[in-house]
This record gives sequence, C-alpha cells and structure tokens, in this order.
Amino acid sequence: MSRLEAKKPSLCKSEPLTSERVRATLSVLKGIVASCYGPSGRLKQLHNGLGGSVCTTSQSSALLANLSVTHPILKILTTSVQNHVSCFSDCGLFTAILCCNLIENVQRLDLTPTTLIKLNKHLLSLCTSYLKSEVCGCRIPVDFSSTQILLCLVRSVLTSKPACMLTRKEVDHISTLILRAFLLTIPENAGDHISLGNSIIVPLKGQRVVDSTVLPGILIEVSEIRLMKILPIKKSDSLKVALFRVSLSGDLSDTGEGSVVVSYGVSLENAVLDQLLNLGRQLVSDHVDLVLCQKVIHPSLKQFLGVHRVLAIDRVGAALMEPLSKVTGTQPIGSLGSISPSSYGSVKDLCTAKFGFKWFFHLIPNKATVCSLLLCNRNGTAWDELKLTCQTALHVLQLTIKEPCVLLGGGCTETHLAAYIRHKTFNDPESILKDSGCTSTELQLITEAFCTALESLTGSLEHDGGEILTDMKYGHFWSVQADSPSIVNWPDLLTRCGCGLHNSREELNWSFLRTSRHPFAPLPCLPHEAVGSANNLTLDCFTAKLSGLQVAVETANLILDLSYVIEDKN
Amino acid sequence: TRRAMAAEGSVQVALQVAQALETIVSGCVGPEGRQVLCTKPTGEVLLSRDGGRLLAALHLEHPLARVMVACVSSHLRKTGDGAKTFIIFLCHLLRGLHAATDKEKDSLISKHSHTHGRHWKTCCRWKFISQALLTFQTQVLDRVVDECLSRHFLSIFSSSTKGRRLCRSSFQLLLEAYFGGRVGRNNHSFISQLMCDYFFQCMACESGCEEVSELVDDCFVELNIGVTGLPVSDSRIVAGLVLHRDFSVYCPADGDIRIAFVTETIQPLFSTSGSEFILNSEAQFQTSQFWIMEKTKAIMKSLQSQNVKLLLSSVKQPDLVIYYAGLNGLSVVECLSSEEISLIQRIIGLSPFVLPQASSQYEISSTALVKFCKPLILRSKRYVHLGLISTCSFIPHCMVLCGPVQGLVEQHEGALHGAFKMLRQLFKDLDLSYTTQTSGQNYTSSPLIYKNRESNQLPEIVSGSIQRPPQGTVEKNEGELAKTHTYLKVHSNLVVPSVGSETCISCSTPKVTPADIHQTDETRRCLSANKTRIIDDRDSFIESDPTTESTEENTRVEASYENLSITKMAGKGSLLPVRCKLLEMRASRSYSFSSIPAGCVLPVGGNFEILLHYYLLNYVKKCQQSEATMVGMIIANALLGIPRILYKSKKGNQSFPLVYVRALQALQTNQPMGSSQTGLESVSGKYQLLTSVLQCLAKILTIDLVISIKRQPQEIYDQESEEEL
Repeated sequence: MSRLEAKKPSLCKSEPLTSERVRATLSVLKGIVASCYGPSGRLKQLHNGLGGSVCTTSQSSALLANLSVTHPILKILTTSVQNHVSCFSDCGLFTAILCCNLIENVQRLDLTPTTLIKLNKHLLSLCTSYLKSEVCGCRIPVDFSSTQILLCLVRSVLTSKPACMLTRKEVDHISTLILRAFLLTIPENAGDHISLGNSIIVPLKGQRVVDSTVLPGILIEVSEIRLMKILPIKKSDSLKVALFRVSLSGDLSDTGEGSVVVSYGVSLENAVLDQLLNLGRQLVSDHVDLVLCQKVIHPSLKQFLGVHRVLAIDRVGAALMEPLSKVTGTQPIGSLGSISPSSYGSVKDLCTAKFGFKWFFHLIPNKATVCSLLLCNRNGTAWDELKLTCQTALHVLQLTIKEPCVLLGGGCTETHLAAYIRHKTFNDPESILKDSGCTSTELQLITEAFCTALESLTGSLEHDGGEILTDMKYGHFWSVQADSPSIVNWPDLLTRCGCGLHNSREELNWSFLRTSRHPFAPLPCLPHEAVGSANNLTLDCFTAKLSGLQVAVETANLILDLSYVIEDKN
Repeated sequence: TRRAMAAEGSVQVALQVAQALETIVSGCVGPEGRQVLCTKPTGEVLLSRDGGRLLAALHLEHPLARVMVACVSSHLRKTGDGAKTFIIFLCHLLRGLHAATDKEKDSLISKHSHTHGRHWKTCCRWKFISQALLTFQTQVLDRVVDECLSRHFLSIFSSSTKGRRLCRSSFQLLLEAYFGGRVGRNNHSFISQLMCDYFFQCMACESGCEEVSELVDDCFVELNIGVTGLPVSDSRIVAGLVLHRDFSVYCPADGDIRIAFVTETIQPLFSTSGSEFILNSEAQFQTSQFWIMEKTKAIMKSLQSQNVKLLLSSVKQPDLVIYYAGLNGLSVVECLSSEEISLIQRIIGLSPFVLPQASSQYEISSTALVKFCKPLILRSKRYVHLGLISTCSFIPHCMVLCGPVQGLVEQHEGALHGAFKMLRQLFKDLDLSYTTQTSGQNYTSSPLIYKNRESNQLPEIVSGSIQRPPQGTVEKNEGELAKTHTYLKVHSNLVVPSVGSETCISCSTPKVTPADIHQTDETRRCLSANKTRIIDDRDSFIESDPTTESTEENTRVEASYENLSITKMAGKGSLLPVRCKLLEMRASRSYSFSSIPAGCVLPVGGNFEILLHYYLLNYVKKCQQSEATMVGMIIANALLGIPRILYKSKKGNQSFPLVYVRALQALQTNQPMGSSQTGLESVSGKYQLLTSVLQCLAKILTIDLVISIKRQPQEIYDQESEEEL
C-alpha cells in the first residue's frame, strides 16, 4: 500500500523583485561573480568546512555548480548561466554579470514590465543584428591559414582563468599545446560533412606545467608490472588489433527467462573456457597482435594469448571504446564465436611510455583524428581548473570553426556595443518606437540602463581600484591604474586598449566610462593589416558571447516578468 | 451552532477562496499578463502562466478551493485552455450571487429565528439556486448562444467549393491570441509562428487538420525535444521524426533504406519464460551456443539482404546482435518506449516482425521505406533522426524547443500541447443541449398563450413565464421549491453534480400526488409527510417546469408534471387547456439538436463575453421569472469581469467603459462590433468554459456541510458485480 501524506500548502509571494531580501541576495550573487571576472579576477575558495576537498576557482561552471542557491529567482539565473556554459563552455561570468546588471538597472526605473521587456528585446535585437552584420566594428574574421588569431583566442581563454596559476611562459606553452591538440582532431580529407575527432585529456598531477604534451593516438595507463610482458613483435608495418565489447571472462549471462538445468557432472566452466580458448586460437591464427577488451579477460585466455605473443589489455572501460574504435578502425566485437575478419583493425605502432610516475601504452594510429593531451599541473585544484580551461579552449576552437570569426575581448566589444546602441537610439529612435508603442523618454531610460549594464560589466574587469575610460572614436575600453595623478596627459598614462588593437598614440579623446557622453557612432576600425600584425590581441569566442548576450537579456526579461513566486514547501 | 455557521458561510467562504485565487490568476491573464515562478519540492523551478499549473502548484488546503481546482483541472483535461478565466468568472459569479442574496437574507432571518431551521432553509435555497443555474445553462444559455450569438461567429475555415480549408491568416490570429495568454511576452509571437509553421508543415492535405491535431495532442511528448542553454529564438522545426535516444550502432547508409522493428530479442535464448533447458553435456552446451550464434547471424544476414538498414527494437538486444548488425551494415536503435512505437506505427503503419521459430528462411514481410536515417546532435547530445514516409495525413515533423532554463522550455511545451488540445476541440462540432424545432406549427398551435403578448424573440421561454400564476410569491415557497425541483431533476436523469451529504432523499421530496405513475419507492415513503401542502406547492412546480420542458429527454418530468396539473384543476381551471395545448405541440414538433459548428471563432478582447452579456440582458428584460432573471443578471454581469481585466491597463479611448459602450451601441444598431485587438479565440472553448464554471458553481452551492474525517474516504465499489462473481 502506498503511503499518503498530506501536502503542505505552498508559499505564494507577489512582486518578488520588490522585496528587499531578493535585492540583497541578487547583489551578493553579483558581487561574487563580478569579482571573479577577467584576468585579474579574485579567486574563490569553496569548501564544506568538514574536511572535504577544497575548490579554488574563478570559473562560472565550477563556482555555480558548487554554490547552493536557495531563492527561486537566483536559481533561475544560475541555472540559466549553467545551461549556457554547458552549451558553449565560455562566457558564463559574462552572462551572469550582465543579467544581474540588467535586472538591477532596469528595476530602478519606474516603468511597467511590458515596456521594459519590449524595449529590452528591441535593444537586444539591435545588438545581435549589429554583431552579425558585415559592418560590425568589433568582429574579426578568422584566417585559418595562420594560427595567430586562434592562438590569441586560446591565450585569452587561459589568461582569463587566473586560478590555473600559470606563468606567462606556461600560458604560451599550454596554448600551443591546445591548438596543436585541436588541429590533430581535424580530419585531413574532409568531405561535405566534417566530423571532428576527440582529444582526450590525460591527468598528470604534481608535475611541472611545461611537462605537458600532446601525442597523437591513445594513452592507456597500466601498472608497471604488466609492462614486463613482452611487447608483440611487429611483423609488418602495422599491428593487427581486435577490440572486444563483450566480456571475455567466461561468465554466462542472459540465458533467458526460463531456467537452465545442468545435469550432474557437466561443467559449464570448462565448456565456456573451451570456448574462450577456441576464440584465442582463432585470434592467433588470424595473426592478431593486440587484443583490447572493454570488460574483463579470463586469466587463462590472457595467458594463452601471452604465450602466443599477443598482448591483451582488458578493463579499458566504456569511455575509451569509441576513440579506440576510431583509432584502430575496428568494429567492436560482441561475439565469442566466429569473428569476421572485417572487424579487425590496426595501429601503426605500440610503445610504452613513462610520464611522471605513470606508465602508459601508447597506441600510435595510422591515420586518425584522436589525440591525447597530457596535462600537468602542480596540485590537484589547479589541475582541475586547468583541465576545465583546456576543455573550454578546445570547445571555443570548435565553435570558431563553425562560425569563423572572433570578437574583440578585454571589454572592448561591450563598450563599443554600448556606444553603438546609444548612437542608434539617439539618432533613429523612430524605428524602435513605431512598432513598440512606447514613448521616447521610456526608450531613453531603458537605453541608458541597458548600456550602463554593458559598461559596468566591463568595469568588473578592473579589480584594483583603477579607472575605466573609453575613447570617443572607436568606443574601446581603456583602463588606468589607481592613484594616477588627477590632471594628466592621457596618452602618457594609457598604453593599449583592452583588446590590444589600438595604442594611446592614435590621437584619441578619452572620457570616463561612468560620466555621460554625447552619443557618437563608433568607427569600425579594422584595417586588416593592423589585425595581422597585432599578435597580442585579446579575443573572445563569437558564438559563445553572442549566445551569452541573448541568454542574459532573455533571462533578465524572464525575471522582470515575474509577478508571483509559488514555493512548494513539501 | 458550528454546523449552522459552516453552512451559512458557504457562499461567502467560496467567494473569499475564489477571490484569493483570482488575485493570483488575474496577474497572468491576457497579453499583458505576467509570469509566475513555481518551485517543485525537488528544487526545480518552473515558469508558468498556465492557470491550471499555478493552481496545482499552490497545493491548496481549503476544501472548497480544492473543489474549484479539481473542476478547473477536469475542464483543462478536456479543452486545454481557460483555467484563469475559469477562476475569474467563478469569482464574479459568486460575488454577484452574494450581493443578490444579501438583501433577501434579512427577511429570511427574521422569519425563522431558529438557527437550525435557518441553516436548512439557506441550504435549500442555495441548492435551488444551483439547480436554477443548471437549468438556465441548458435552457437559456444554449438557446441564446444558438439563436443570437451564432450570427456573430466567424470561421477558421475559408469557405470554398472543395469543402473546408483551414485559413492560414485566421489560424495565425487564433494562435497568437492563444499564446498571448500562455507564454511570456517576449516569446509569444515567436512561439505562435513556430506552431503555425509546424501545423501547416505536418498537414499532408487541407482536410487533415483534425487528424493532425489529434495525433499531435496524443503524441506530443514524442514529437518535441527540449534543449536548454540556448536562446528561445534557436527553436526550430525539423522534418522527420526524432527519437529521444542514440543509435546503439550506426552505419551510415543512403539510397533505398528500409526499416524493420522487433519487440523481442533477435538472439534466441536458452530458455523462454516458463520452460526449462536441460544441459546434459558440455558438447550440448557448445552446440547450443553455436546454433544460437548461427541463427542470429542468419537473421541479421537476411535482414541485410532485404535492404533493411535500420532495426528498431523495443527491448535491449544482446551484444551479439549489435555486433552482427554492425557487420551487416545495419543501424540499431534499442529500448524504444511503447509510445514511440505506437507513434511510428500510426505514421507508417508498420507492424513488428515475428521471428520464425523453425524455418531457415527469414523472410521479413513488414518493412518500410524511410527517406533518411542519421544522428542528430543537439547540444552535444545525440538523437536518432528518421525521415519516415507517412501513410496518413500527418507528415512527421519535430519541434526543437530551446530556452535558457528547463522551466521555460517546459512552459513552452505545455503551452504548445494546450494549443493542440484547443485545436482538437475547435475542429469538432460542439452539441448544445438546446433543440430547435424544424416545423413551424408550434407558433400557431398555441395562440391562447400569446394572445396578450407582444412579439417575442424567445417564444418558448416566455410561454413558460406566462404560466406563472399571479398569486403566491416565490420567496415564500423557496425551500419547498428547491426540494421538489431536486426531485424532478434527479428523476429526470439530467446531469446533476453529486450533492454531498444532502441528497434528494435526505431532504425528502413529498408533495407528489398518488396519480403519478412514475413514482419511486422513496417518494412513496415520503408521501405521507406533508400531503396537505400540495395546493401550495403547485405554483412552484409550474415555476420549475418551463425551464426544463424543452429538452427531449425530459419526458419523465413532463409526465409527472402533466399528472400534477390535472389534479390541480380544481384550484386553477384555466391551466388545463394550456397544458393540453403544450402537449399537442410537443407531439407535433420534430426536434433537432443545435450545435456550435467546428471552427467557430470570435475576435479576442472580450467579444464573446460582451456579446453574451448583451443578449442575456435582452433576455432578462423580457423574462418575468424572478429567479431566471436573477441568474441571468448574475451571469451577464459576471461575464464582464473578464474584459474588465483585459482592458485594465488601457487608457483613454481604449478603457473598458468606452469599449463597452461602443460595443453596446454597435449591437443595438446592428453594426459590426469593432475590436481593438487582433486575434481570434475558439467559441466552443469559451462556451465549454462557461458551462464548466456554471457546473462548478452549482456543485459548490449544493454543499451544505464540510465534514473533516481522519482517514481517506473509502472508495465505493460496485458491489453487484462482485456478488455475481
């Protein structure tokens, strides 16, 4: 009998955003995420106070996954960011901060939610259509004939995660490795449909970062003892491989729903072992050099194969099956009986390798898009952070292949975009007002709130009390150190803008970001030769940032639209 | 006493409860409505503007509130729309009822000082009103809808010589209005466009709209995929069917691709359920293994030889099958749900193939051709994408719904599912209980009744009111009237909501003359109680009759009535000829049921409500029955509650009073009603909502006591069937 329990009535609250508690928690969350943002972001240490592992991070994915958020509104915000990150890996903090800023700025205005949402949506579509358009002044096309831009992109990802604890030299090393690993996953002769391979990250903690390396093929970790076995002798230019999906341990599974009665004196174990040894004989006669099994191989079979100089590796695990099948070109075998010769594959070579304290079998492929990235870092937490960062960088590169352009980083895209929106709504308000039914004052207010949200987002890049400026020509982001003299010659104090595209000697006018400026049309500033020569640009992933922008505004709209919160207290 | 207080407050309490719900719900009504965030006990968050979902999420404790929520959800299951309007309308009805009865209450109290007696009096009174509501709905409301409102109906179908065709622009307007009330403001136009495109892409032919809406409603879960983390604008339609799982083995194939599906493992097993496999020797075991392997191999080979490139399986297949499938170039999808299988069967009409037990020939008869079969990757999750070739009027398409959070995706899914439910209802005729006469004889056969009346639009109803005798006030006999009325209702097999602890039996239904041949035992038992009051009660009988008489199935009521009126001859001789005339009339008439035809729509923005309000007022003006007048007035006024909320935020020319006055003027001068809002809504949906609300209200009114018990109410089993066994 099922147990029935009376349900407690839910808690219903109206106009949740007006509550002081919600505002306070929102601003706490904003404080947390904003302080993590950028290369000089502060690190957060997460621990449970009971002796569990400690996580030191400044990445949104690690941060939000560990943070326990209770208020439903914050939950919406954080899940929204987490979902974005799981899709695009990058721009999580950007999304979170922008969303918080928008909510904070917009709810200060005394406007109806309908107007707010409508105009926010209009401004968002202005942004997205500008970013996607050819005239966009903060977008750079990616030239795949040189690695420069891709390297800049990877380096930007690495430097924006300070919890990896990398020195400048290490950043250079790791970014080259990541780019190399990525290039190894691209098939050589691609048809209409490109499918990228995998890069498997192999952990090696406690080593120097510069010991990290990339190898084509697959590394399978083994204990030292097993290496004592003699490696198969290479009879031709490659080794024949059999990959088993089915267990070779001699267990009898799935005999059906009925019962199996075994007469006295009949030994099923022997029968099954016979079967396994027959299989072994077939493998030997088929000249297989290497037997890989997802599950367990019976010791007798292993010994039999060893005698015949066939190397057997078992317990490979389900995760490695797909890359192994790809590397060796085998059809994973699910039969203990006759094996079709077509299901065998091959590897170019097999060798043992020692990295740090670990021994590996290294399967070197003939031609495959699988590589292993051996990643080293000094300690566990830093390694975890570095692994996440590498995954992000690899993902960002994949996204960039799909949409071959990048956005200017270092806050320049945001300030540029804000300048564009200000200019657009100032000069051409009719186009927006005509189909939204709002007044121009309302539009002005929302534009201000929207642009300030973008600009104060870039303000979060500065954590050391410095000032943020913007130039009045390109609308880029410039930061100046704290405690600089009040009356100065700006070009002396400033060096380069946030993305590194412009330097202060270009005869620009600057203005503090927090002061009001007259709207101007930011120049699309990209003479392509300048882009080519600048090898120290800070760049952002286009797809991730665009989607982050959309998700941030959509989520903010969603939260602004809430009139009630019903909490189920069961 | 406590009991008395509980009953006394029933309308008042119901009103309080409804008002509490109204405040929550009214914030989400209409295109200006806002979102509500619900959290589940599991910690998930859900966004919703769906009234049904909100009410369910509240987990209300108050019994009356639970009755209301139960009524709303049963209404939603049927129609998929109108939960919020339901609550608002119910609240207005209760408010009207409360105001109308407030005045009368004072006199009632002074007459019956005994509290217990007063309690029963009030209960009876509420029950009487609840019956009046139901009769009003079946008699007057249906009639008004059929006779007056129908001339304003628009159709979603464009009329053409080749039968009905779905008009795309009207359809779009309908969806836009629907989603305007169901999804967030920034997404509603996008979602309605998506739905419109989807519907038209799925429709193989113009006449298939009914079938498509039914199939999508039934299989909605299988036909859409939710993806979180992407902006809503990334949602799209994909041609073909997407299965919510990955290939177990995938072999790229093109050209002539055939599929087959199985419901059992292809590899033969040692023993089947209920059987025993006896192993006598090791060699036997090895031979069996070998045989199993060879047989599996042979089946897979034969599948390949018949060009089968994809095997769908409802069960998990052993490794061996997967291996041979891979070797033979067959892709395999395992563990399909029964819903997915039934959907595929519905689309392509393919049945599973049965493995031959003995023969070595594996001729598989049931295979079907597909256009393509490939993996589809959405947010790094792999799905199976099939280009099924449809054999019905539904061309398979799937919706990929994106959103930043799961809660939003679910909201859109819910709204889309509701839209298909709504369409399903819209594409069907809705029968009204009101019947129209096909012969014109009735008007001539009863000149007696109408001779001192002006011309009337509603002859039958008015004929009822004429029979109301001048003497005897209604208020005086209200209690008895209610009782008698209930009796009549119960025995006439009309749909009457269950009335809790107070049934017609406990209330006793005396006052029926022995001449009635249709009496049941209960009534006979009660007869002795107050025979003396027969004469007093005849008025009430006459009162209640005209409202029920026009339904065909009410023969029993009529019969008993007939007997009654004959016995009352002494008191009022003039009644007999009228009765006879009426009976003659009935005999000469042939009835046909009226209905709201499929596809009827009205512009949004309270058009339906204002129209019905106007016609009900018109009716009420001509009607002289006080309770019908009262009920009519209450309903008519309550109807305005909805447009009032819709126009709440509008100012100036678009404010509610001005819109209302303009609409009334237009109606009086027979001009078309202008509407400021574009968009259409289903008439049958609105009408069903109205009737559901009236039934819910009637249910609430008939409850006199709420008894709290410790354990669960025991289910009432059908004892007879058990005895037979």
